[in-house]
Amino acid sequence: MNIIKGFRTTFKHLLEEPVTLQYPEQMRPFEARYKGRHHLRRYENGLEKCIGCALCAAACPADAIWVEAAENTDEERYSPGERYAKTYEINMLRCIFCGYCEDACPTQAIELGHEHQLSFTDRRDAIYTKEMLIDPVPSGGKPTPQKVEAGAFDRAIPDMPDPK
Amino acid sequence: MAETKLVTITIDGKAYQVPAGSNLVDAAKWHADNDIPVFCYHPKMAPVGMCRMCVVELGMVEKDRATGEVIMENGQPKVRWMPKLQTACTQVATDGMVVRTDTDKVKAGRESVIEFLLTSHPLDCPICDKGGECPLQNLTMAHGNGVSRMNFADKLKLDKHVPLGDLIYLDEERCIQCARCIRFQDEIVGDDVLAFHERGRRLQIITKSDPGFDTYFSGNTTDICPVGALTTADFRFGARPWELTDVPSICPHDAAGTNISLSTRLDRDFGGRAMIKRVMPRQNEAVNEIWISDRTRFVHHFTRSDDRLQSPMVRRGERLSPTVWNEAIPALAEVLKAANGDVAVLAGGGASNEDLWELRQLLKGLGSERLGAWTTHSGAELLLEVGVGKGSNLGTLGKGDAILVVASDLEEEVPMWYLRVKQAQDRGAFLAVANHRPTRLAEIASQTERKVASQTERKPLVGKSVLYEAGKAAHWLNDLANSDPELYNTLKDAQNLVIIAGAEGLDWDGGRALMQAAANLLIAGGHVGKPNNGLMATLPEANGMGLQYLGYTTQNALDIIKNPPSVLITAQCDPLGDDPTAGSWMSKVNTLITLTLFPDDTTQRAAFALPVQSFAERDGTFINGERRVQRFYTAQGPMGDALPLWEIIARLRERLGQGRAKVSAAAVMLELSNHLPSFNGIRYKDLAQVERQYPDVGGKDLYYGGTAYQNKGGLGVQLPTTADNGSAPTTGTVNLPEVKQAKKGELLLIPTVRLYNRSHIMRPSALIANRVAKPFAALNNADAKKLGIKHGDRVEVRFNGGQATVTAQVSDSTPQGVVFVPRYLADTPTPMVITSASVVKVSDAVAVQ
Ligand code: SF4
Ligand code: SF4
Ligand code: SF4
Ligand code: FES
Repeated sequence: MNIIKGFRTTFKHLLEEPVTLQYPEQMRPFEARYKGRHHLRRYENGLEKCIGCALCAAACPADAIWVEAAENTDEERYSPGERYAKTYEINMLRCIFCGYCEDACPTQAIELGHEHQLSFTDRRDAIYTKEMLIDPVPSGGKPTPQKVEAGAFDRAIPDMPDPK
Repeated sequence: MAETKLVTITIDGKAYQVPAGSNLVDAAKWHADNDIPVFCYHPKMAPVGMCRMCVVELGMVEKDRATGEVIMENGQPKVRWMPKLQTACTQVATDGMVVRTDTDKVKAGRESVIEFLLTSHPLDCPICDKGGECPLQNLTMAHGNGVSRMNFADKLKLDKHVPLGDLIYLDEERCIQCARCIRFQDEIVGDDVLAFHERGRRLQIITKSDPGFDTYFSGNTTDICPVGALTTADFRFGARPWELTDVPSICPHDAAGTNISLSTRLDRDFGGRAMIKRVMPRQNEAVNEIWISDRTRFVHHFTRSDDRLQSPMVRRGERLSPTVWNEAIPALAEVLKAANGDVAVLAGGGASNEDLWELRQLLKGLGSERLGAWTTHSGAELLLEVGVGKGSNLGTLGKGDAILVVASDLEEEVPMWYLRVKQAQDRGAFLAVANHRPTRLAEIASQTERKVASQTERKPLVGKSVLYEAGKAAHWLNDLANSDPELYNTLKDAQNLVIIAGAEGLDWDGGRALMQAAANLLIAGGHVGKPNNGLMATLPEANGMGLQYLGYTTQNALDIIKNPPSVLITAQCDPLGDDPTAGSWMSKVNTLITLTLFPDDTTQRAAFALPVQSFAERDGTFINGERRVQRFYTAQGPMGDALPLWEIIARLRERLGQGRAKVSAAAVMLELSNHLPSFNGIRYKDLAQVERQYPDVGGKDLYYGGTAYQNKGGLGVQLPTTADNGSAPTTGTVNLPEVKQAKKGELLLIPTVRLYNRSHIMRPSALIANRVAKPFAALNNADAKKLGIKHGDRVEVRFNGGQATVTAQVSDSTPQGVVFVPRYLADTPTPMVITSASVVKVSDAVAVQ
């Protein structure tokens, strides 16, 4: 009797549509909150959201992030705050895609996106630099560094809509 | 503190014995391990009770008036509590004091103070340089309410980028108006350059001086500021505090031997190597307490300057060309072998004891003992006999004691000693300053009262400033008993007497005579061989004392100048850059080998130029002016092919068959201290000993003492003088040299020392460039008139061996017949000792340079 039960299961599956996807030609849609590789965001005017505070690096359990900061001037402004990331690198071999950096960031500058197809033939290629991580300048915005009116940005950290 | 009476106080139910009259915050921390939170109070300054963070419940045990018996209630002593919370920082421990720090009332008090402070504090922590080591952050976490009741939009918006001078920035929003910075400048340094402006909510810190924040100690305010309101231009955004590695080190610039901590971090722009991000004070109460001068803090860029010599160079024909160690060392060995013992060394005070020992052994192996010290000072051998006694601490000199500073502009030469001498006077010590020109310290010495105890009180002071004729320091001191018996007796009969001697306006004979005269005065008064008594000298650079201990003397240097050897090795000194007349004797040297940080004037003429590592890239020891052997550790990544000086010589010695090269600086020290009895057999591990210091600064509670580092690298070991060891020194005859006279129609040129100058070590620190004076020569009004020179004119100063074009500074403070030319300011070498010179006008003052 049991053997018939077993065969029934087998036959049932023979008739079902297979779940296998022909990856990479075919891809399953992502959940919105999927954590892929990082993006550094910009404001609409093109200024970088990152203020080089290195809190993401401090929060990172894998020590994958390296930030070196420098000071903005009105002649050469990267971010609306006092400080910007001169060097920003993430070692994708170390990153465990936990998203702690995203949580730590006070300006929502770093966000984990959906790109997940990371492969390297050289360890060095796994280090994503700021140029590779940062979003393209949005239309209507200007690239950084920008020359701005003196005194236009007088906050150490840009005012955020919701400081909580 | 051992002698003071002990009283019993009760803190949170437990009784403690503490010295009577000690500050309650200090006593609770030291004896009861109870950290009372503070913002405005600082253990090094008088309390002002401004911030109210330190509130506690305070009471007194009640006693029966008639019998003096303690009144008991339910088996417990009855306590009369004060009706309201009291500030602990303004209380001193008295017998029967009862303190509660853990009640709800206290907690509520602290929470309210934090809330008030945060009413308008910006949310800058993510980018604030103090973030991570910020007292306000830490105390908010510990005592604050978790949520804010304030409206973010209502916060005051103030200027966030106010430069107070070139070195320090103020963020007005972050300041919590504790006045620590103002009080530090006012009470501790005596440069009253900061102040509060406006009142109430508009209260702001301003600088009153021009140029802004004009003092040599400004960096310390950033350490003691309990928030990120004051930050240094040097470190600004350099790294987050938690990313830094703390490496104990010693300031390489002067004889104070200031204990520092180098905060390092890997850096992209520095090729991924560890790099010094900031220089911070490291507590050593006997040396620098918790302070450092701005030179110590801001002059570290030379260690990684691209201008440094980075590979060994060998002369091929006219040009020096780079080579590798494996070729340079054998070539050097050949040269030295061929010299047949006709070799000498001139070493500067930047070389460590290990370097000097290897050089000494090299020469010994070659059959030479010609070890010269390249310095402006002489008579340093007396420091081994009558130097300040073992256990001395300038920080403990006070009432009844005396300090004499002679022939030195201490503020410019050894700012740390200046600070400590000034504070000794504040504590009641008699301060005498003698020089041929007015100096800042002379001004301090002649002040009769100063603000020291609090904002309102002024304390009477004792001191005297004396002007003697140019070049006559030794004559003045030797004749003091006759010329000014009152001063002589005040010094001689003081409880403790420390003499700090410089060499300004003296040649080597004059310097030696001055040191002997000082020694005689000390011996006459019995001020030798005991703590807080004896002689100190402002020997240039960090290891002037080490030169002396290792047998490098000025006499030998003079002999080298008189009879130049066939092969001369210069170790971290630049005779051709320092002395315009050096060219004449240097030309008699066949082969010049220079061990140097920078390609300098001596390098131009050298047959071999060998790059050495700076103090930051290697370990070693220096001996400070108080004969304290102190250890510095490897902090920064190496530059090019440079090697530690001792290692270069050790490899060379191996090549010459003088035994296997040692592999570490510790091994060199081991050999050194085994051979030189004066080193008492000390080892590196002895130098690394630490103990708890009072006040307990640099722990986790950064709000108490600021961001000065706790001493984890060692307090060093002070070597005893012969007097300390029991041999009674005898007075020697002072060989008064003939005073240098100016030639007819000329002036007496006296070199002076400036803290900030244009030496190779200073130049890479762009930050202080604005503080470096334009090259000048200081003249007296009458002399200038005679020579037809007006203030601001371009003049040429001509002296034996060269000339320099500088700007004339005409004033009455320069004595007649004299021209002061600061060293390392002009573009060309200027004299290092007193000489005759003519001053000629070149062109009129130009309005804009
Ligand atoms: S990404 Fe965000 S957390 Fe990281 S440095 Fe930039 S601002 Fe700071
Ligand atoms: S001073 Fe302290 S509390 Fe204020 S922004 Fe800076 S780190 Fe934060
Ligand atoms: S700047 Fe700092 S030290 Fe000075 S008053 Fe303000 S908070 Fe205090
Ligand atoms: S009032 Fe006591 S620490 Fe400020």
